[in-house]
Amino acid sequence: MGLKSGRIKYPFILPSMIWVLAFTIFPLIYSFGLSFFRVRLGKPATFIGLNNFIRILSDYKLGNSLRVTLMYVAITVSIQLVLGILIALLFHQEIKGKSIFRALLILPIFCTPIAVGYLGLTIFYEEGGPLNSILMSLFGWKVPWLSNPFWAWVAVLLLDIWQWTPFCFLVILAGLQSLPEEIYDAAYIDSSSEWEIFRKITFPMVQPVVVIVLLLRLIESFKIFDVIYSLTGGGPGTATEVYSLYTYRTGLKFFDFGYASALGYVLLAMVMVVVNLFFRRVRQVYE
Amino acid sequence: MGVVRKKSKSLAVVRYVLALLVVAWAVFLIYWGVVTSLKPPAETFTISGISVPVLQFRPTLENWKTELSTRESRFTLTNSVIVAVFATVMAMLLGVPAGYALARFQFRRMKNRDLTVWFLSQRVLPPVVVVIPFFLLMRTLKLLDTQLALILINATFTLPFAVVISRQAFQELPVELEEAAAVDGCSDFTAFLRIAFPLAAPTLVAVAAICVAFTWNEFLFALSLTSLKAKTFPVYLAGAEDTRGVQFWFMATRAMLALGPPTVLALLIQRYIVRGLTFGAVKG
Repeated sequence: MGLKSGRIKYPFILPSMIWVLAFTIFPLIYSFGLSFFRVRLGKPATFIGLNNFIRILSDYKLGNSLRVTLMYVAITVSIQLVLGILIALLFHQEIKGKSIFRALLILPIFCTPIAVGYLGLTIFYEEGGPLNSILMSLFGWKVPWLSNPFWAWVAVLLLDIWQWTPFCFLVILAGLQSLPEEIYDAAYIDSSSEWEIFRKITFPMVQPVVVIVLLLRLIESFKIFDVIYSLTGGGPGTATEVYSLYTYRTGLKFFDFGYASALGYVLLAMVMVVVNLFFRRVRQVYE
Repeated sequence: MGVVRKKSKSLAVVRYVLALLVVAWAVFLIYWGVVTSLKPPAETFTISGISVPVLQFRPTLENWKTELSTRESRFTLTNSVIVAVFATVMAMLLGVPAGYALARFQFRRMKNRDLTVWFLSQRVLPPVVVVIPFFLLMRTLKLLDTQLALILINATFTLPFAVVISRQAFQELPVELEEAAAVDGCSDFTAFLRIAFPLAAPTLVAVAAICVAFTWNEFLFALSLTSLKAKTFPVYLAGAEDTRGVQFWFMATRAMLALGPPTVLALLIQRYIVRGLTFGAVKG
């Protein structure tokens, strides 16, 4: 590793580092500062110490959005992972036209989330939308997708699972395909059952990849905003008002900049806790 | 032996059916968007079931024609293209040299690995945490509702892709070529530009495509920082519902216009997607 002179080493990396300092670290520090002030549009900022953070403790709307977000993250990520593994196992076998299927499965990942939300609106439409008309003709009842708090939450979950299961599938399939074939030959000679081979050989070997997928999905899930903004707008009531949406509204609809900054920091802290659980693993990857 | 073969054959059929079901599920939303955008408005709510075009109704391009001749949609599409292209150029200009430096030189004060993770940590940051400082900052700089503001921010949020994946692309090239060039009197910079860069080009193009797609899809910052002049297509899409009621045929057409470009890009760079989206942690 390494060229000798290294004269271009710093000119090559410093612009990026300065860029990150200017556009990430500085806004973060600025936001940290803001969280100790009462800042409203058109009024001078006043220092209020920890009051914004104290307010967080008794904010029932925040409690609600926290609960909605954590439930959403836990459920959507676990369903995506399980489905992703199952579909990857399915496609890890001989299937005709596999490459076309795989290509089609890539599509959801790159769909504009805000557009996915609006397409969801047409799919979950209660009077004559495709889902309800199929349910009507099969079972004779329909689901109040967007007017009922529980079902609205389910609708958001379904869209998110639709969009991100293919990501889990794709990465885990890549992991499966990188496993050496010989191990399986040996296992089949020992005549273990399929399930035993999966449990004792396949899963442990593909587990590092699953961990990466889990981490990436956790990080991204905490950011969810677009799909909910377009599908439910956080409603009905505040049934699907996730953390990002609540923070956004506090800051840029009610212009309570100081409090919104404090809210942002709480979210960042949560994500940091999650990432820290994986930190050693991540560092190993970039050795 | 015969029994085994028969069993495995019926298993293959089951597998195939399952695979078809999975794919049908994965494309259903897109299928529905396309179909709805081709329906005559008057029939949008009367066609039942999964609305197969031609069989159940006569598809029409009217919605697309109307949508593409609307001034606002053309204008916001143009904005989206400008922001996506320039943000990507910016991210690549900054990120590719940084990736090269991390791949080829040893950093002492902070190890290369830790620098890489430092760049990567940007992606951990939920955008909503910095949207307020960005808003205030752009207001102070008089950059609210400008394409420049969105270009700067999107370059920032796609930079980790550029740095981390180009680092990996350069690491996989044999260093001997550049060393030989150095012996021949090439400067480090010429060796990078003439030898390493062209060899890594395919991966770098894929990274650029990912940056374009992510910027194109970005919504929160565009919503917060633009109002009229610099509005991007996703923001237009989000605003359109209020102005026209539940006109699903237009909504579907706009949704398809929004997700068309990034999905097509994704298909073009298929081979690199796993590596790209996992920041090189998993090689596809």
